[in-house]
Amino acid sequence: MLWIGIHLPALSLESFIATLAPEPPTDERVVDDLDEIDLVGPVALIERHRIVAANAAARECGVRPGQKRATALALAPHMRLGEADPARDDAALMAVAHVAMGFTPAVSLAGDHVVLAEVQASLRYFGGLPRLLERLRAELAPLGHALRVACAPTAQGAQWMAVGGDVGASTFANTRTDWRGRVAAVPVTRMAAAAPHLPALEALGLATVADLWKQPRAGLTRRFGGELLADIDRALGDLADPRTALQPAPTFDSRLELFMRADDSAALLTGAAVLLNRLTAWATAHRGLVAGFELRLHHESCRKMLEDPSSRTTVLPIGLGEPVSDTAHLHALLRERLQRLPLAASVIELSLHCHAITPGAPPNTELFPSAASVGEGWQRLLERFEARLGAHNIQRLQPVADHRPECATSVRQGGEAASARARTLGTPLNLAAPAGPTATASGDPAHWPRIKRPVWLLREPQPLRDEGGTPLLSGKPLWLVAGPERIEAGWWDGGYAARDYFIAQDNEGALLWVYRFRRAPEVGEVGWYLQGRFG
Amino acid sequence: MSSPSSLLPLEHLHPALWRAHQLGRGREAVQASGYSALDAELPGGGWPQRAITELLLTGTGWGEIRLLAPVLARVGAAGRGVLLLGPPAEPCAEALAQLGLALARCVVIRGDDLLWPLEQALRSGQVGAIVAWAPASLKGEALRRLQLAAQSHEGPAFVVRAQSAAAHPSPAPLRLGLAGAGPDAMAVRLLKRRGPVLEQPVLLALPPVLSRSARQRALTPRRTRASAQALSAIA
Repeated sequence: MLWIGIHLPALSLESFIATLAPEPPTDERVVDDLDEIDLVGPVALIERHRIVAANAAARECGVRPGQKRATALALAPHMRLGEADPARDDAALMAVAHVAMGFTPAVSLAGDHVVLAEVQASLRYFGGLPRLLERLRAELAPLGHALRVACAPTAQGAQWMAVGGDVGASTFANTRTDWRGRVAAVPVTRMAAAAPHLPALEALGLATVADLWKQPRAGLTRRFGGELLADIDRALGDLADPRTALQPAPTFDSRLELFMRADDSAALLTGAAVLLNRLTAWATAHRGLVAGFELRLHHESCRKMLEDPSSRTTVLPIGLGEPVSDTAHLHALLRERLQRLPLAASVIELSLHCHAITPGAPPNTELFPSAASVGEGWQRLLERFEARLGAHNIQRLQPVADHRPECATSVRQGGEAASARARTLGTPLNLAAPAGPTATASGDPAHWPRIKRPVWLLREPQPLRDEGGTPLLSGKPLWLVAGPERIEAGWWDGGYAARDYFIAQDNEGALLWVYRFRRAPEVGEVGWYLQGRFG
Repeated sequence: MSSPSSLLPLEHLHPALWRAHQLGRGREAVQASGYSALDAELPGGGWPQRAITELLLTGTGWGEIRLLAPVLARVGAAGRGVLLLGPPAEPCAEALAQLGLALARCVVIRGDDLLWPLEQALRSGQVGAIVAWAPASLKGEALRRLQLAAQSHEGPAFVVRAQSAAAHPSPAPLRLGLAGAGPDAMAVRLLKRRGPVLEQPVLLALPPVLSRSARQRALTPRRTRASAQALSAIA
């Protein structure tokens, strides 16, 4: 058994700081020192009007846990104070547990903001303990927590070592005697079972586990209850210590109450980034890829909201063509969407909901980009375009077997996500092996097969003036050089067309596609129409 | 070579160096245009990659898409994407397929602001070829940004602009003026290139629209009204 204990000494503070805009503690930098979070200035948490936690900047001003709120504010007037919120801490801790679940299924929570993971069976896959710890730290880095990671042969031991800050794999004792020695040095203040008896233990002069060992077991059990010795036995491995493995929730729901009202997309993105990091951690725990999610913006109430309660929340659904596990891509998509979203009112709370997850192995890291990774980048680019420009501005063309030129092209909107959903109208023309051009693409273009349709079609055919049987385009006559080609179709769907098409040349030599109706035009009716240009 | 053999020819010192009477050799690989007459005049022997190529034309319908068809077809056949940004009219799928474009990998982007997708596409380096129909309001500043973004774009990128833009300087290393030269033919004037000035336009035969006899008819001197009437009488 090899347990990794991950202790988050400043979790409450960090989860509060995450709600502060605009200086995010959640960017890509690795936060492994407590002082790193002081970029946001003095911050402290209060519970029942007393300080329970303060960051280094606040401590520098003299703020200490246990002080009254008024005292602390007198010491540091510009300090930001937040209520301690166990639910907020739990959500942050769960994200850490989700990341750990990417390494082993045996992950459990221990009190005091400790996540325990049993990794013996995963060592070989991840290439040894040092590599595994390195990766674990790297994957926890986006969550932006200060970490204390310790390894031990027992769960209880890992918890104690992590809380004590016995950091690093090098302190992992291999032999049983070494381990006994390390457990012996653990102070009693670190033991949860000793918490109610601390004054008595101190009076007896029992400061460490070693001191407890020297005492008769029966006496200790009588005075302090059996749990104290049982914990030590569990830490040594003498007593069974079963832990229930956590299971990730089937759907993801996480909310973030913003400390300040957010009025612009930058502030929203800061908060959303925290939620996105948790989302990808959850997807990792499921060994899945995110196929879509929904960001809900909860607005500050104003008069308009009272009349229409449904407008209190803006729902922003984001679908992905190709499921991903990459926070940066999700973040980029969200940024494009948020930037063009008009906010009805200030946002006070964000929540992220996801139930669309597809199982999938994470992609291999490639040394050289292969065709598959190039295709993925192309898809992602189109997804970003779709998020910013809207699906109707991203078009894919598909030829349809119809003689009428205006019906011969079906436009599919959106990237891959949309095209997979939409069905093309009519029968798609099979052009898998077009005769000629592709085969002769390297040959002389002058000898390619004749192009029968113009590349550019006008949305509406442009009526042309008729002068004695010759069409006029902006006053200049067009010269018919080829034709006619009769197209008569559409009697079955109400769009009946019976036209004679000609290729015409204008004064400057450009080739145009013009038509006239099969029947003779009536008096006063336009005879000729321009429908396309051979680009 | 006139220089002594012990001395390296100047133009071999650095790939970016060329003599004024020679054509520049790009450091980058180029994409053959498919037209040998044009390739002979383009620095490096083809469309440049990692750079913007400007095509200036007087109006639509001069054959710009037929000029680019060989390279777009080759990019599509290689499995890479082709982006058409803000085309001047509705593209006809059948015609594009006839020109050899792989429609499955061809995406048309529309919208009011095309500079953003253009810049992103160039910067991403994930697109095989880009053809953008620039709005008339395209500023030199924006072009400079695009030219910078294009350095990570592995493929040809064309910006189609109006002929009037020829008067303004541009950061694009290659600028071509396109004009019709009769039916199914095009005159390409090299307005700017890394090499000597070319006075004469390059005449290219485009993928044909007209049959041989129709081309003969189009080439014969204008008898505008008479021939049109004769033709419509036949029709």
